Amino acid sequence: MVKVATLAWVSGHAPPHVEPWVTLLFAGILVAMILCLAFEEKLHAKKSIVAGLYAVICLLLGSFFGLLPPGLVTFGEHEIALPVYVPGIDWQVIAIILGSSLFVDVTSRSGLFTWIAVKVTKLSGGDPWRLLIYYGLMTVIFSAVLNNVTAMIIVGSLTGVSLKKLERGDKLLGFLLVEGLLTNIGGLLTLVSSVPNIIVGNAAGIEFVDFFIVASPYVVVATATTLIMGAKIFGIRKLSTEEERARAAALVSGFDENDGIESRFFFWFGAVMTGLFILAIATTSYMPYVRDLGMGYVALAFASIMLLRFKAVADKFYEAIDWDLIGFFAALFVVINVMEHAQVLTLIGEGLGFVFVLGDSVGSATLLGISAFFSSVTDNIPLAAMLAKILGSPDLAIPENSPLWWSVVFGANLGGNLTPIGSASTLVAVTIIHKHDLRLSFAAFVKKALPFAVVQITLAAIYVVVRHLLVGD
Amino acid sequence: MTRIDQFESAFNAAAKTVYEGQEVKISSVLTVTDLDAEAAEDFGDRVSDYLSVLPSPPRMRVIGDKEYATIEDLLRVVESESPDLVCTYRALKSDAWRWGHSLGEHLDVLTQSIPNPALVLPHPRGKRPFQKGEHPHDSVMAMTDHLVGDDRLVSYAFAFTSPGGTLHLANVEDRRVFERYLDAISKIPSIDTVDARDSLLRVLMKEPHDYVGSCAAALKELASNVEIREAIVLGEHLADYRRLITERSVDMLVLNTKDEGQMAMHGLAYPIAVEMTETPLLLL
Repeated sequence: MVKVATLAWVSGHAPPHVEPWVTLLFAGILVAMILCLAFEEKLHAKKSIVAGLYAVICLLLGSFFGLLPPGLVTFGEHEIALPVYVPGIDWQVIAIILGSSLFVDVTSRSGLFTWIAVKVTKLSGGDPWRLLIYYGLMTVIFSAVLNNVTAMIIVGSLTGVSLKKLERGDKLLGFLLVEGLLTNIGGLLTLVSSVPNIIVGNAAGIEFVDFFIVASPYVVVATATTLIMGAKIFGIRKLSTEEERARAAALVSGFDENDGIESRFFFWFGAVMTGLFILAIATTSYMPYVRDLGMGYVALAFASIMLLRFKAVADKFYEAIDWDLIGFFAALFVVINVMEHAQVLTLIGEGLGFVFVLGDSVGSATLLGISAFFSSVTDNIPLAAMLAKILGSPDLAIPENSPLWWSVVFGANLGGNLTPIGSASTLVAVTIIHKHDLRLSFAAFVKKALPFAVVQITLAAIYVVVRHLLVGD
Repeated sequence: MTRIDQFESAFNAAAKTVYEGQEVKISSVLTVTDLDAEAAEDFGDRVSDYLSVLPSPPRMRVIGDKEYATIEDLLRVVESESPDLVCTYRALKSDAWRWGHSLGEHLDVLTQSIPNPALVLPHPRGKRPFQKGEHPHDSVMAMTDHLVGDDRLVSYAFAFTSPGGTLHLANVEDRRVFERYLDAISKIPSIDTVDARDSLLRVLMKEPHDYVGSCAAALKELASNVEIREAIVLGEHLADYRRLITERSVDMLVLNTKDEGQMAMHGLAYPIAVEMTETPLLLL
């Protein structure tokens, strides 16, 4: 992965000495921001506003204490004067998220995703058990290929409609919960499936294909385990009589997969482009010229091509972009950057020192558990961004093939399954659950999700350790 | 509109109501007249001839004016006979047929009190009395303001359509109601009125269209030579039904008359039943 911009103290200017109390002051600010993000709903404030406000405070204080480097940035071999908060943002990550979400949004207008979802529903014949398996697999695949929030929105909305049609509303809660938990497992499958993967993968220099090879065995096992547990815990069984099967098949036959397709050409164009998008993302690092531009370029290029179809009304799609999320990332990168200069990340790294001395096996399992716990109580993105910075610090000299990187990836993703605020996709699942007038409090979610999360996190810890012992990285 | 709503709407649109054929069993028919015994028998013959469109001839029973005096008597007879179909004509035991402003109290009560369908034929002394061979089943229309999912209405209308005939499935959305809602929408700043009008109209027209498609597919398997035609419009109920009936030379109308939660005949059915004096009506 090519670093587009590196923010560094220009040669000849040594980084300033930071007083311990200043570091503690900034650490306090970081904790306050994390708490505000955890209680985002209670504060009635969007993530971008919370992180943006803290970025403004951090920049001002950082400047006041002389912590921030002068506004000179090395770009390749050139020196460019930029305000410190511009190169402080990881634009590669922003470009991937912006490009992918635009691409997915435009492609969804072709009716492709609804076509697949309805086809899968009809294929199940309306049998609840088969429906759970098919929807579960669809959630994992959509999470991996699109992103976990979009996957939850598509599969969750379909689940509400199809179970109502099949007169199985009593199983809705179980279905939605299992799907919500599976989004975070599917989000582990590829480098671009979730934001923590992009951040950590980017920092560790993990290639798309390598990421997939390492993550896929775990995803297969965890998906199967979750589905079996879900069917058992929520009493989702096969239809037993021929009459029940015939009735379910008749009800499900009412779905028309072609209803959302307005143009056959655009449908097929969307299908081909989705295939090419996955292929291009997977092979970015192998393509000459393109590899220098990175995955962000690939995502934005595909989004631009798809937007040609709606060139006269492209502004409608810009309006639909999750600007809160983009603003949140930008502000978060600025905050983390200031924290780095204030030595807060070094302080946390020292705090985590006990993990690094435990050795690769025990240390990895411990870091995975810590990551999972912290990402369950607050957003997993700041956690991933912070830990990626710490692990990537030259002081620690953690090799790119260390299992610790994988501990952060697995922990940050799976921690989202412990609480409804742990990840954006479980939050979407809870939103859909509430939309259908099903009661599920914070505590009730934790109670229902805990057995799944414990099994998934334990399996992940075993996998990371065993893989390290067997493969050696 | 959130993305959850966006996808939910797409899936709701894809989850269509499909026609599921219902068995129409008419094995016994009670013909109610206010005629003397001989004229009643004659009328009964004409009814038998009219019902020859049914797959098997039903058991017929005809009653004349001597067999009941009051509405109570009539209801008692119908209850004891428990027929699959009651055949009669408008303004029973009444002179109301001369003016054509009502169906007459006997028929008003009968259609609402019994669960069985009632076939209302032109009055024997009307402008165009009910005669043998003059009322074919070549063009039958099932009419409603909400066709989607009304499998019973379609099944009955189909049962009365002769082979080679045409079954018209009519759905008239009330323009006044539509405009009233759009007027309310036009006062809500967050909803684009033009977009709302187009989208709402498209959905209102598409749903019955898709349902008629499923009816055609299912009925084609039962009788491939019956043509299914749709009549889906936005309009003023009565005026548009009248226009459709004339344009399509409808021989028989099939409509719902019972409305849950109200004692009187279904709002739309009554004026149609009153006005269509020369067209046989099957009231469900």
